[in-house]
Amino acid sequence: MTTTTAAPTPPPVSEAAPVSAPRRRANPWKRRAPLLPALLFTIAVTQVPFLVTVFYSFQSWNLVRPGSQHFVGVQNYVDVFADSQFRGAMLNTVLLTVVCVFVSMLLGLGLALLLDRKFVGRSVVRTLIITPFLILPAAGALLWKTTMFDPTYGLLNVGFGGNTDWLSEFPLASVMTQVVWQWTPFMTLLILAGLQGQSKEVLEAAQVDGAGRWRTFASITLPQLSRYLQLAALLGAIYIVNSFDAIYLMTQGGPGTASTNLPFYIYQRAFEGFDVGQSSAMGVIVVVLTLVVATFALRLMFRTFEVSGGVK
Amino acid sequence: MAVTTGRKARWALIDVVVVVYALFPVLWIASLSFKTKETLADGNFIPREWTLQNYADIFATNEFIRPLINSLGIATIATLIAVVLGMMAAYAIARLDFPGKKALIGVSLLIAMFPQISLVTPLFNIESALGLFDTWPGLILPYITFALPLAIYTLSAFFREIPWELEKAAKMDGATPGQAFWRVIAPLAAPGVFTTAILVFIFCWNDFVFAISLTSTEASRTVPAALSFFTGTSQFEDPTGTISAAAVVITVPIVLFVLFFQRRIVAGLTSGAVKG
Repeated sequence: MTTTTAAPTPPPVSEAAPVSAPRRRANPWKRRAPLLPALLFTIAVTQVPFLVTVFYSFQSWNLVRPGSQHFVGVQNYVDVFADSQFRGAMLNTVLLTVVCVFVSMLLGLGLALLLDRKFVGRSVVRTLIITPFLILPAAGALLWKTTMFDPTYGLLNVGFGGNTDWLSEFPLASVMTQVVWQWTPFMTLLILAGLQGQSKEVLEAAQVDGAGRWRTFASITLPQLSRYLQLAALLGAIYIVNSFDAIYLMTQGGPGTASTNLPFYIYQRAFEGFDVGQSSAMGVIVVVLTLVVATFALRLMFRTFEVSGGVK
Repeated sequence: MAVTTGRKARWALIDVVVVVYALFPVLWIASLSFKTKETLADGNFIPREWTLQNYADIFATNEFIRPLINSLGIATIATLIAVVLGMMAAYAIARLDFPGKKALIGVSLLIAMFPQISLVTPLFNIESALGLFDTWPGLILPYITFALPLAIYTLSAFFREIPWELEKAAKMDGATPGQAFWRVIAPLAAPGVFTTAILVFIFCWNDFVFAISLTSTEASRTVPAALSFFTGTSQFEDPTGTISAAAVVITVPIVLFVLFFQRRIVAGLTSGAVKG
């Protein structure tokens, strides 16, 4: 398979390629050129709709009342912040994010430490551990809903007895469990990368100097890992803040609004309440919040990984 | 050796617990998918009566096949476009120096973190106006956008590792630039490109937010969105068996894929980090 890739292509391409060669010393814009299609494309598809969102957020516009669209200034934002459901959704989002990031990071750290050791079948165990991350999130959510939490078929009740309806009695906790299950592998992989990046010599030196396992972990491994941990937390937070599949499929935000988070509330407002103005205002708020976290994440990424490293 | 059998046993036990934690829900769903309607609720881990009825059911109607085709088609096209555009960008990042490079990378990564939910309403309106709503391009466009930063990031990490001097060496030996690229550089870049393609494909395949809000019929509804209708429509008939079967059908290929290419995928997910 691999040998065939090189053989059949050369003749036609060799005629097309020289065009790019003489331009080597052209101005910097020519050098940026290969980057531009991707960049322009992403900016067009994300920023144009975002500007539209900002525009909508200053309009009073409910699709149920045609012709109702008019400019209202910041009224939507005032309404949104006065809306107790919005505040509830906000609280749920924060809870969901903080708890899930924390728990999945702890589990991830444990698993990464485990995987960093050499043992028979390590690669198989590693694959099995990252499996939850690769399962279609929608399927993962349904899987937990129907096979773990369901009062009659659920493994939790089969295993521990009783007939608790987990999703209506502990909706947020149930969603958290699924999200943690889904995200632990991501944390594991990132932390594992950090673990494998530490120098073996330093670890050996510590051992020679008589440091115990805990001592070595606390004073060498943990400080070295701290950037990876921060990065894992920030990236995890950005994605978990936006979790939508789990809530849509498992609880529909319910019962009542017990497990509604911001993305789901925005969706509900727009696609079930048809209130374009308010849902857009909430969208803008989420974007602002995400950007704040994302800026920190980016700074950290640039420091931790050599993202922009060029020609050596 | 310092490692005692006691310690070994303890690690083995931890291993088992971890694997069970990760895999138990998956095995349980596989088991449910083979159970008959009558034994679905018996709580046995191994089905007492094996049946393929659930699988026959999901493939009997368009309700599942059509979304499967949509998912495959949309994710494949989006992946191809994203990887080609991403390769150009990653080449620029890895090989060329120009002012503002860091800022450009920063912008593309910021876009990857942009909350998708806040774009859904305007995209819905724009696509309705352009006639793209509920079509393949209607999903392919946003997928490419969010896949591109991922592709650029992974590809540039791989491209940095390529010994580009070889290209020069080949040219000195009399190869044309085209030959140097296709004969020398392309084979070296192939594994990275392939890994990136896998990651991007999984990303598109997994999306739910856009799939649920930018489609309305089987013309373009993808598997994740279709799955949510599995639960909704069957109020009177218990759908657990069919959902399980559907989940197995869409999960098994990905898991096999990963088992097969796991080294590359792990390398891709942690790219940059390992060498950084």
